Amino acid sequence: MAFAMLSIPKRIYRTLANLRTGVVLLILVVIASALGTFVLQRPVTEPDKLQAAYSPQTLRWLDRLTLTDIFHSWWFLSLLALVSLSIIFVSLERFPNAWRFFARPYRKTDSHFRSANPYKLELPIRNADQGLNAAERALKKLGWPVERTVDNGQSSLYSEKNRFSVMAVYLIHASLLLIFLGGIIDGVFGFSGFMSIPQGQQRNSIELKNGKMKQLPFSVQCYSAGQEDYADGSPKKWWSKLAVVENGKPIQTKEIVVNDPLVYRGLRFYQASYWIDSKKVDGLRIAYSGLDSKVIPLELRFNQPVNLDTNTTVTLVEYLSDAFVRDGQVFKKTDNIGNVAFALEVADHANNSTAKVWLFPAEGSVLGAEKVKFQFKDPTSAKDIDFSPVTGLEVSYEPGQWFVWAGCLLMGVGLFVAFYMVHMRIWAVEVPDAHGKLVLWIGGAANKNKDRFEQKYAQVVAEIRNELDSNTPAARPFLQEKKERPELTMSGTK
Amino acid sequence: MSTRARVTQMETPAANGGNALLVLVGLGVAFLLITALLGAAKAGGNLFNESNLLYVALIFYAGAGALYMGFGVTGTAKYVKYASICTAIGFVANTLAVAHRWYLSGRPPFASIYEMLLSFVWTLALLTLVAEKKFGVKIIGSITMPLAVVCVILMQLLPSEVRPLVPALQSTWLHVHVTLAMLSYATCAVSFALAMMFLIKDDFSTDLFLAWTSTLVSGIYLGIVATRFERWGGLSVTAWDVQNKSDVFLGRGVRLFVTIPELGWLFVIALLGALAPLALYFLARTRHNASYLAVANKAVFVGILLQVVVLGAFVLRVKDSSYTSPYQEGVYPTSLAASPFILGGMVAAIFASLLYLMLLWRRTDLQDLLPSGDTLDRVTYKTICIAFPLLTGMIATGAFWANRTWGSYWSWDPKETWAAITWLVYAGYLHMRVTRGWRGRRAAYFAILGFGVVIFTFLGVTYLLPGLHAYA
Repeated sequence: MAFAMLSIPKRIYRTLANLRTGVVLLILVVIASALGTFVLQRPVTEPDKLQAAYSPQTLRWLDRLTLTDIFHSWWFLSLLALVSLSIIFVSLERFPNAWRFFARPYRKTDSHFRSANPYKLELPIRNADQGLNAAERALKKLGWPVERTVDNGQSSLYSEKNRFSVMAVYLIHASLLLIFLGGIIDGVFGFSGFMSIPQGQQRNSIELKNGKMKQLPFSVQCYSAGQEDYADGSPKKWWSKLAVVENGKPIQTKEIVVNDPLVYRGLRFYQASYWIDSKKVDGLRIAYSGLDSKVIPLELRFNQPVNLDTNTTVTLVEYLSDAFVRDGQVFKKTDNIGNVAFALEVADHANNSTAKVWLFPAEGSVLGAEKVKFQFKDPTSAKDIDFSPVTGLEVSYEPGQWFVWAGCLLMGVGLFVAFYMVHMRIWAVEVPDAHGKLVLWIGGAANKNKDRFEQKYAQVVAEIRNELDSNTPAARPFLQEKKERPELTMSGTK
Repeated sequence: MSTRARVTQMETPAANGGNALLVLVGLGVAFLLITALLGAAKAGGNLFNESNLLYVALIFYAGAGALYMGFGVTGTAKYVKYASICTAIGFVANTLAVAHRWYLSGRPPFASIYEMLLSFVWTLALLTLVAEKKFGVKIIGSITMPLAVVCVILMQLLPSEVRPLVPALQSTWLHVHVTLAMLSYATCAVSFALAMMFLIKDDFSTDLFLAWTSTLVSGIYLGIVATRFERWGGLSVTAWDVQNKSDVFLGRGVRLFVTIPELGWLFVIALLGALAPLALYFLARTRHNASYLAVANKAVFVGILLQVVVLGAFVLRVKDSSYTSPYQEGVYPTSLAASPFILGGMVAAIFASLLYLMLLWRRTDLQDLLPSGDTLDRVTYKTICIAFPLLTGMIATGAFWANRTWGSYWSWDPKETWAAITWLVYAGYLHMRVTRGWRGRRAAYFAILGFGVVIFTFLGVTYLLPGLHAYA
């Protein structure tokens, strides 16, 4: 009974540890993601666009099948989880063997090994040990580490480079899991949203992607924001001067631009957009003159009275982005910036009377000027308007991103090692050849890039030959020896 | 001594016969260069500007393509050599064009799809030369050069002014990201060409090549007909705003189409012409009668003629003329520039069919010129070993850049998703090769599939699927 119950998890493990299962899962992921790019997805597409693209019935079915939000649906996430499990289990299955190979490389050179080795050749030697000594000198000269091993009284040389490269595969898969881990952390704890702050104000809530509002434990103040243009009028740069305000005190300030966010407590505030709120202005500059005809510049802020003389104040009270006049009355036309109009309230505290004066900078006209004793000179100067810019900030909290970047770096290292670092091995042993004559057998193997290894191997062999020659230069004239040299025998150069 | 004399004798007539095409291509190139030069001189301005250089590159790439085709017709091996020289000259002109653009804009040319194609073609030509010289795959250009020509034609039509970068694109990471993308895509293209070479060398049956070529060509025409055929035989194309040099938009992302009367029928005929060899192939398979295949091969030839006629008609009808639109009152102009992908698809279809004919007529010569199947298989694997880390780097830098710009490193945007799919396909190739020992044909199929996905990621996603990645 207990055995049967135990076998189910084991069977699941076996299934997931099978590379074939992994491939099937990956194919499913590919199909699902492709589907997710063809069907419009919920959070990024506006509802009205979705309704325009699909009939209500189709849309209902798509929603019911979670096809409009595949990448956040439970089944897609489970699929990714299964892929991760599969990667882990497949690696666990294969790791012990690989580790054995890595920890205890095959150093022996028995006859079966010698005949199966892909790269091998035999060099004639004069006496025992001459060959091994020459090979050791040659390998050391070329920068190969050399090990002497004795097996059954048979002494041989073993040399290798970049053994660690056989483990790179595990590094790559581990890095992939690290990236997934980062994604999961962000999926669970992370959030992202948008906040727009008009210049001079502060906000402490963000609108999340799903439309809900989220309160932050601090607020963000926008001191100023702006745009710089190219000569052709297209935007070149957006910037905002921001401050993090906690308990009424600014804690951190920064001027952010598009690719350079403000970071506070793991939350990042990106410059995402910038626009001018055409419905609002902060103030304007204008000139006026009184009875003495002296022209004085005046700076007006919204709803802040400014003294013109001891009894008279003027206040900027109203602003219309696009206005028209009919029968002496001013009306709003559109919300876009067109015929801009400002209403100034001139209050005479001595008479306790107020009068409203409208300025139209674009037309250069004033409405209601006769009611006050001050002249607002040259209304066109009122073009110096402080429009109210709004900065649009993308806010995101992604504590898992560091795992993602670490994973990317690790994967880079892993891929480099796996693809470009070759595990190369060379063996040398003195054995009797087919005629019973003692020869130096040199074998080699590489786990990839066989072309390059062929060159390396040829280089090593040439150097060993050289060493053998220089050992007894007089006895072996160069040319004569060349004839006797056996050709490189190679097979399986795949 | 006598053997040698005989060999020379045998070579001489071939060489003589071969000179005719060389002279022809040489004259063609010279003619095009001179007309271009005259045109440029008449228009005034700097002679060595980018579009002229690009035009020179196009001429030489096309010359290389023609020489490969010539090799296909006559089997003269020295065409291949001259084609390689043409490729090299085209590459130099292409390099100068890239450098000029870089110099002009003061930044690496990677911001728009035009600039990306420019870098893609450059990398493609470079890798072609490397594959030829280093690995001895002499005729790889017969696939990569037509691809380059299609890309350059697309580029001639896409808006090419140096536009300033929008704020989101101003980052060093952009250049790293796009450089890696172009390098990896071009490497994938080369691995595709190598895989095709492998199939040629590996005696992949010519009939199957016929079937696949016809499927591809029919697919292209089916795509055009299915999306653009209007009732009563018209063909709808995008209206062109001559002043702003852009498509006419009705609303955000909604283009205005105009209908060219009767042209739709021609496309239907071309589609039938492309389907005919396919149908004949299946007839031959089901009835076990090879004589249908002979007819199918003739049908391919007729199909090419049809396609050329349709292409000609399309160019003449579309070029700078105005048509009515079924969607909005009035007459609107259109232009070749408004339909770059129809045109690119048609040219690609013609090239694919021509390549098939080349294969049909000169298979053994092609095989003689290629290195061993083993080498091709290995070099394909090597190119993917280069492409895969580049792809990985492209995705990683793209994620990093998106994180700094949009506040999220992964948002399942179509471009991102398709880049990930491409990555998975190549990862599948590597796994199958390393753990299952997939070699030869199956590996070659995989490499071809991978490049198909790359093409879709590069161009398909940009033009067919919505997303943030609007710049390219």
